[in-house]
Amino acid sequence: MRWWALLALAVALSPALAHQSSRDERLPVIGPAPDFTLTSQDGAPFSLDRLRGKTIALTFIYTFCPDTCPLLTDKMARVQDELGPDFGTRIAFVSITVDPERDTPEVLKQYAENYGANPQGWYFLTGEAAAIREVERRYGVFAGKAADGSLDHTPLTSLIDSKGILRVQYLGVRFDPLEFRHDLLDLMGESQQD
Amino acid sequence: MQTDHSRRRFLAGLSAAGAAGLIGAPKPARAEPPPEVTTVRLPVFANVSDCQTPIYIAEALLHGEGITDVRFIDKGTGPDSSDWLQHGEIDFDFNFPPAYIRSIAKGAALKVVAGMHVGCLELIADEHVRSVAELKGKKVGISEANSIPHLLLMIIAANVGLDPAKDIEWVTSPSSLDLLAEGKIDAFLATPPEPQIARDLKIGHVILNTAVDRPWSQYYCCMLGGTADYVANNPVATKRVLRALLKSVDFCVTDPESAARRVVDLGYAASYDYALQTMREVRYDKWRDYDPEDSMRFYTLRMLESEIITGNPKDIIATSTDWRFINELKREMKT
Repeated sequence: MRWWALLALAVALSPALAHQSSRDERLPVIGPAPDFTLTSQDGAPFSLDRLRGKTIALTFIYTFCPDTCPLLTDKMARVQDELGPDFGTRIAFVSITVDPERDTPEVLKQYAENYGANPQGWYFLTGEAAAIREVERRYGVFAGKAADGSLDHTPLTSLIDSKGILRVQYLGVRFDPLEFRHDLLDLMGESQQD
Repeated sequence: MQTDHSRRRFLAGLSAAGAAGLIGAPKPARAEPPPEVTTVRLPVFANVSDCQTPIYIAEALLHGEGITDVRFIDKGTGPDSSDWLQHGEIDFDFNFPPAYIRSIAKGAALKVVAGMHVGCLELIADEHVRSVAELKGKKVGISEANSIPHLLLMIIAANVGLDPAKDIEWVTSPSSLDLLAEGKIDAFLATPPEPQIARDLKIGHVILNTAVDRPWSQYYCCMLGGTADYVANNPVATKRVLRALLKSVDFCVTDPESAARRVVDLGYAASYDYALQTMREVRYDKWRDYDPEDSMRFYTLRMLESEIITGNPKDIIATSTDWRFINELKREMKT
């Protein structure tokens, strides 16, 4: 075969090549995201499966947290603003307190307002301590009281696709918000292709 | 003609890749099953190994992974946890690459699975010694002959051209820090919390810090390795153990104060201040940055040069490492 014929074949196949390349870069599939029912900042029961069909970023915070949680919530608030109309309609955020004794729905509602969280797409959840502990355990988060009464917890943010599958987890609060937004949009794009 | 040949090869490769794109759809990933076993045995050295804090504070994270029976082992056959791993008395160890390499070279069935952090060792010397090369003819403290610090110091000394057997007078003592303070030795290799104590008490000065001094800072200081049996028979549990420990490593970066407080509360570190300094100084943030195979190769070569082991890096890496778990987790967990 002449070289120009090979070139023509390569060009003809290039969309498939590009498709393969982007599909290969998809986020991994970790497993079904554990479902739960807790209480929203409005005091109403809230189940994760209510958000099926949307891409979800799920994280753990507490409102009295002096250091990591404000950084994390602020980072997510900035990404929320950058997502524009997709936020709430196709993408949702869930922040679960690890301090349910102090973080009542009212406290969480005020906290959400302080950070400019859009209530159409960002849910702050509390609940019975045992129920919260179970959700923490199932998502691989450690939270506990230190001997001096302060709270320790491992900041962990999980991205869940529109089918309810856990796809990637961000450790800590140092992650790049651009990459975070890119991953959210990738998952949203996947759901539109399906 | 060379150009044409290269173009043909390029186009052939491109076409083949394109065809593969048409034929091969991405494989559906499967949800992770529960662990094959719910038990893991890990080493603990209370109050003398603050850099292992990620292991000590990981119990709740391990429980979250379904590893509900977490046993901390504080003694076994031999002085070091690498001996315990070799004897199957623990399932995983958190140790220096040379510790694994020495065991592997002796025939131990191990699998090193990940790098955990960079830099926790500091070579502390009195005021008359300004470099590793100046250790020639000096007295250097070690806990015991052939211990892991002894091994590491032999490698470090050989790297600057010293003959560790002839050029250094090794002095055995349970507390090299005390001997240095008393002027009875000239240097010793300190592990946390010793560097922090030495700074606090103004004993000696640092002539090498593996967190910042090349080449040591370019390789993992501590890695995770397991028995070959545990890793082969329990791949899901292995991945879950590693995931929990990496979360714990990252917690030491994100919230060093809480990590330090927690390890003291658990009784595995004596001083909050020293533990906190350790959390801030050890490069836990590097767990995903380096290629763990490079670290194994680097230290194997150094140990071959020093005639501490025989063999070759290729065989050691081929038989005794397994990077599947860390490679998957690097994709699944971002920082």
